[in-house]
Order: sequence, then structure tokens, then C-alpha cells
Amino acid sequence: MSERVVNILLTSFPRILGQGLLVTIPLTVISFSLALVIAVICAMIQIADVKGLKQLVRFYIWVIRGTPLMVQLYLVYFGLPDLGIMLPAFPCAVAVFALNEGAYCAETVRAAIEAVPHGQMEAGYCVGMSYTQIMRRVVLPQAFRTAFPPLSNSLISMVKDTSLAANITVTEMFMTTQRVVGRTYEALALYSEVAVIYLLFCTVITRLQRMGERKLNAMNGGNVIRA
Amino acid sequence: MLEIKGLRKSIGGNEILRGVDLSIEKGDVLAVLGPSGGGKTTLLRCLNYLERADAGTMTFLGREMDMPAVSRREIAEYRRHTAFVFQSFNLFSNKTALQNVTEGLIVARKMAKSEAEERAMGALERVGLADKRDAYPSQLSGGQQQRVAIARAVAGEPDVIFFDEPTSALDPELIGGVLDVIQDLAEDGMTMIVVTHEVHFARNVSGKVLFMEDGRALAFAPTKTFFEEQKLERIQSFFRSLDRKE
Repeated sequence: MSERVVNILLTSFPRILGQGLLVTIPLTVISFSLALVIAVICAMIQIADVKGLKQLVRFYIWVIRGTPLMVQLYLVYFGLPDLGIMLPAFPCAVAVFALNEGAYCAETVRAAIEAVPHGQMEAGYCVGMSYTQIMRRVVLPQAFRTAFPPLSNSLISMVKDTSLAANITVTEMFMTTQRVVGRTYEALALYSEVAVIYLLFCTVITRLQRMGERKLNAMNGGNVIRA
Repeated sequence: MLEIKGLRKSIGGNEILRGVDLSIEKGDVLAVLGPSGGGKTTLLRCLNYLERADAGTMTFLGREMDMPAVSRREIAEYRRHTAFVFQSFNLFSNKTALQNVTEGLIVARKMAKSEAEERAMGALERVGLADKRDAYPSQLSGGQQQRVAIARAVAGEPDVIFFDEPTSALDPELIGGVLDVIQDLAEDGMTMIVVTHEVHFARNVSGKVLFMEDGRALAFAPTKTFFEEQKLERIQSFFRSLDRKE
């Protein structure tokens, strides 16, 4: 590797990483938190079989899962201004990522709630608890343990998907890299560099996932897989 | 204290209960016997409204209720006076033994935590598991889980406890310990309805027997009369078939 490339890599590294910490990570964290809220609400509506709302939720999940994330980004950022709705790029990206991931996670959460044995609910009723009390204190904590690995999966996906936000002018890590490439023409080195930074972020999340699982297991008496 | 008249229930077009009557007084232990599929478990589930009966009236502590039409609030109030022990224990698997017992007291009955824990420890001592207070269900044997479930039932100081085949899911060597606990409760005057396949237990512990087959009560009699003066050929042949198995 020539001295020039090494220099480019060294000077661009803090810039790209900085943009990752300032934009990619906040974009992921905010969007994913909102997605989780959406997911739990949608799952609960389906489980509790709320008339009308349930159909609405099914429709939302159907539309989101049936269209590309990129198209959704374009639709909201470039399409909605035709209707007079103009969002700045970052909030626009947050909204699309949250709504998109929310639909996928809703199914994860629903499956996890349905996997909790019905006897838990009945036992709760028999000691006098209400539906909401049993859900909050017994069913959801158990469902969360089940949903945790697939939700971590979704989070890892989202870190990388945020690179799509470059297309709607959000200056996150990937766009920053593209700009450096545009100036230096060192595509192989710089895209490798940003790939390594994404890998770094995801490695941290994987570690956190393992720690989280250990903690959740302890809170559930260590009963992950049992006959 | 608890009286049921004309209890009917169909599930998926099959008539599971075809008009069952029964009554128990305070301190009674009623054993419900009979072949599988006879409606024993459905009867018990209807009694605690885990299944909604299609017809029937219930008189409990002097209050009459139309079983198909009982409101959610009435069910909640009724359940404050009853407890249910499941065949598969159904302990809250994200809670310790102690928390399993206190959960209903604190959350449903709004009892102070310290008071609930004191009462729960008393209940766990009664079933011989005070030392397992911090164990999760997955760390307990089936017999221990069922005894915690009984402690959970007892802690609410119910007027009646329903047992749905409490020993059917247990390994043979664990059954005795659970039956001993239920017998202790009987001796303390607890009112109980016990669906069971343990004929010896029914004979030694219960005061009344209800024999169910095809959704009907074939017999409802004091235990002594039921076992010693049984005239029905069908019931005699049921016990003969059990003897053969043993």
C-alpha cells in the first residue's frame, strides 16, 4: 500500500468514525427505540384482538413488508413534498426506519408473546390478576427473553441499513466515505475502511446481546431451553 | 357453601357437560372421579370460569349467579374467594417461589409487600419449601413446583381450592409428597374439590365423591357410601379395570 493511501486512510478514519458516532449510531438508536414501541403496540393489538385496529395493523405490516426500504425512503423524502409535507432529511430517515423496522419487529414480538404458555395467563387470572397486570408482569417479561435474540438481529440489520439514508442526503458514515472517495479515487481502501467500522459497531452490539441474554437468563431462573 | 345446578358446556359442538349438579359445605373435601374424557376437568374449569358454562346456576356464599352471564367484575370478586391448582402447575416461570406466592397478594389484593412476604413464607413453610424461596420454577422438581403452586393457592386464604389432577403430571415417587400436603389441608378444614385418579387418596381423604362419565354425574355420595355400598355396575366395573391395571 502506498504512503498516499495510508495517509488518506489515516486522515479519513476519524472523520468517518466521527460521522458514525454522530449520525449512524443516533439514527439507529432513535429509530430502533421507536420501532420497538411500534412493535409492542402492534403485537398487543393483534394478541388482544382489538376490532378494527387489528385490521389496520395487519394492513400496515403487509404494506411495509411488501415494499423496499429504499422505495419507502424515496416516497417519504421526495414524494411527500408533492402533498406539501416536507421533512428534513434526518427526521425523515428516523420516521421511515422506525416504521419499517416496527413492522418486522411487531411479528417477532407477537410470536414471542404467543410462545408463552397459556397456563401463565390462567394462573394469573386464578390469583386475581387482571389481563393487563398479567401481561405486564408475567407474559411480556417472558416474551422479551424469547424475542431478545431476533430483536438483536434486527438491530444489527438496522445499523447497516442506515447507509441507505445517504440516498436522501443524510450525511452518515457511508455518504462521508463516498465524498472522500470522490476526492481521492481510493474506492477499495476507503470502502474497506468503512466496512470495518460497520463491522466494529456490529461486534459491539453482538457483545451487548450476549451480556443482555445472560442477564435475562438470570432473571428467568436460567430456563432457556427445557424439555 | 357452593352449589351448582344444571351445569352445561359444549366445546366445538361436543357436549362435554350435560347438566351437572353438586353442592359442598364448608370443610368438605369432594373428590371427582371417573374415566378420562368424562368432563371432570371441564367441570372444574367452569367452576372457576376458566371456561364459560353454557347454562347453569351457581350459589356461592349465599349469592346466586347465572353462570353464562356472570360479569367480569363478579368473576374477579368470586376469584378472590377461590384458588386453582393446575395439573401442569403453571407457576410464573419468571418469578421465584416466593414471588409466585406474593404476586397475587401484592398485585391483585394490594397487600403491602412485607405483609405479603410474611404470609407467603408461612404458606411455603406449610408445604415444606421455605428453604426454596429464592428458587425459580425451572430449578425445582415437579413435586416441589406443585407444592409451591399449592402454597400460592393457600396464601390467598380462599374459601375453596380447586385441584385439577394435581399429581397426574408427576413422577410416581413425587406424588406422595403432594398428596400429603393436600391431606394436611383437608385435616385443617380447607374446603376442596379435587379432580383425581388417585382412588386411595379419594377414599382416605375426601368426604364426598362425584363420579363423572359422559358429562353426567353418575353418582354423588358421601365417600363411605360411595365405596362400600356401590350398586352401580358401571362404577364397579370402572374400579375393577383400575385394579387390573395396578
